[in-house]
Amino acid sequence: MDKIRIRTLFMIIMSGALFFNLEEVGADVSKFHGFAEMDYGAKVSDDNTKRDNFNLLEQRLQLKTMYTFEGENYEPRGVHSHKPNVVYGYLAEKSSVLNFKGDFTVDEYFSGKTDFELRELNITLTPYRLMDAQFGRQIITWGTGDYLFVNDLFPKDYISFFIGRDDEYLKKPSDAMKLSFYPSPANVDFVVSPFEPNTIPEGDRLSFFDSFQGGIAGVNSDRDLLEPPLQLSNNEYALRIYRNFESNELAFYYFRGFDKNPTSYKDEAARQLFYPRLDVYGTSLRGPTSGGIGNIEFGYYNSREDSGGNNRLIANSLFKVLTGYEKDLGSDLKIGLQYLYEQTSDYGNYKANLLPTDFVFDESRHLLAQRITKLYKNQTIAVSLFNFYSPSNRDGYVRPTASYNISDQWKATLGANLPWGEDDLTEFGQMKRNKNVFFRARYSF
Amino acid sequence: MKIVKIFIISLTFLVVFGHKLVLAQGGLSAYDIITQSRLSFFYAGDDMKAKVLMELVNKNGQKRVRELTMLRKDYEEGGNQKYFMYFHQPADVKDTTFMVYKYPDKDDDRWLFIPAINLVKRIAANDKYSSFVGSDFTYEDVSGRKPEEDTHTLLRKDILDGKDCYVIESIPKSASEYTKRISWIDATDFLPLKEEFYDKQNEVYRRFEAQEIRGMNGVLTITKRVMKNTKTGHRSEATFEDVEYNLGIGDDIFSERYLRKAPVQWIK
Repeated sequence: MDKIRIRTLFMIIMSGALFFNLEEVGADVSKFHGFAEMDYGAKVSDDNTKRDNFNLLEQRLQLKTMYTFEGENYEPRGVHSHKPNVVYGYLAEKSSVLNFKGDFTVDEYFSGKTDFELRELNITLTPYRLMDAQFGRQIITWGTGDYLFVNDLFPKDYISFFIGRDDEYLKKPSDAMKLSFYPSPANVDFVVSPFEPNTIPEGDRLSFFDSFQGGIAGVNSDRDLLEPPLQLSNNEYALRIYRNFESNELAFYYFRGFDKNPTSYKDEAARQLFYPRLDVYGTSLRGPTSGGIGNIEFGYYNSREDSGGNNRLIANSLFKVLTGYEKDLGSDLKIGLQYLYEQTSDYGNYKANLLPTDFVFDESRHLLAQRITKLYKNQTIAVSLFNFYSPSNRDGYVRPTASYNISDQWKATLGANLPWGEDDLTEFGQMKRNKNVFFRARYSF
Repeated sequence: MKIVKIFIISLTFLVVFGHKLVLAQGGLSAYDIITQSRLSFFYAGDDMKAKVLMELVNKNGQKRVRELTMLRKDYEEGGNQKYFMYFHQPADVKDTTFMVYKYPDKDDDRWLFIPAINLVKRIAANDKYSSFVGSDFTYEDVSGRKPEEDTHTLLRKDILDGKDCYVIESIPKSASEYTKRISWIDATDFLPLKEEFYDKQNEVYRRFEAQEIRGMNGVLTITKRVMKNTKTGHRSEATFEDVEYNLGIGDDIFSERYLRKAPVQWIK
């Protein structure tokens, strides 16, 4: 936590200094935009988390701005020498843009704790005609799924997702260097970043299945999550190579880093979990199919620290395939269907090495997802139903939302998160005591 | 020598424009007029850049604003086109970009970039009658319709706001959003001045009007257009500002690269 606070503070000072510097050299810092928002999410099921009547009550102010470096013969303001600013000149020549986005929050869940969350602070430039570079904190997304990810191994915040914050907050920022190349045969994205885990339920706000507690746990959970130390050899690398063949988009992916979730055990007695090393190889294809958009995506997750599947403490390798189809039925009605299949490799070895007291997870999982969206009143009202259902896990997750753009500035959103499941240890079954209804009111400017 | 030159020039003129002159005096079929109108309206220049301000007004007078920069590049007169749009307003969609590859003979390819989550989303595009950004304009109104999709009849000649125009009735050959469309098309420059769309009850439910036409870069352009839904009272007014043609917009602009990083020099 301290590490994060220091980093955030550093970022604020850096951004302040940057903008101050821009003012100083006479640049016009373009206007700030963003929104102010009030969020409230009431619980509709009991559990033993920190609070039993709500899990979302916060105010949020998001500010964002972008600054474009431009002008070739730039001269600093009020300086009598006519020497151009070399750095500024370079950035202008390379059509650089500085992006900033940050959220100030007051979180009543933690008794009115104020916080600042830096979402983006990065500079993008085009050093060469066929290359872009982006440095700094940024949000990176790729792949073809809708709420389902196979080759997008960038960090996510599932607490935000399950308590009813805007979809924007499902994606966590990465402190990254992203290089993009655009030669004619194919485009290439290459990302280097330090490890950043997913934010997952840990008992204080949302209850979850804790194997150390032998069931669904809340504040009684006391497990310890060990992140890989911040060092060069623990950097993560992500690569995407993509191109279009007429209307179809083909992509190949490679990821080398760590599992984003603490799936493996370091020391059972000390209740320590860790994020094992992971390589992912994948591919995807997306394009028009029978009047809609079809997509298919594969990923092979190689658990490098247990590639034979013999270590019961470390997650096995995994194969995932995701297919989807979306169609516009007219009259602002859209439907989307997805099917995800996951299969654990070397399941026999996993089973053979389990101890009698261990929880047994299935070899495969089938997950169906469906989304229906209908817009009304000149697209100012959006009603959407997202439904996950796994016949193999006998669990699911229903996510209805309705939003109304009262004006260009005001928007109200009402929704619910309704996970369910027969067992306690499945993906959605473990979330079943976190059912909630949420409301958000946002003023954009 | 001089006489020969004049003769050749006159002959060239006749060959190039004579054909048009003759037809305009009565030989143009309804189909020809609609075809020419589509080219004048949707294919002017080889490429185009415009800042579009759209006001969506409901029957109570409540107003919403959509402000976007639009780039268009034509690949073939009457054929394939590419569009790139960058949204400036309203605040909640600011910096969103939208790209369309338009094919007259099959469904468009559409991509939407949502900056908040850095996501490039493929948009299913088989419904060309869906509303464009919540306005009364459909995707088809914004990017055109193939003349072959309707049967056209020249009803009469008329004078609208002091301009000679052809009045043409278009009946869709297969199921469509409308059952009949009546268009008033300027007899000189072929721009549509007014269009009325009829529903199954044979009542007008949408009305298009070109309210301002100006020469931009030497190309006559409808700089203010209104689409009104006569049934709901909702209307959309689109004003085109800073319209420029034949800028030599590169093919590379219409790509995922620029969806994610909007091309500053074009969208300002």
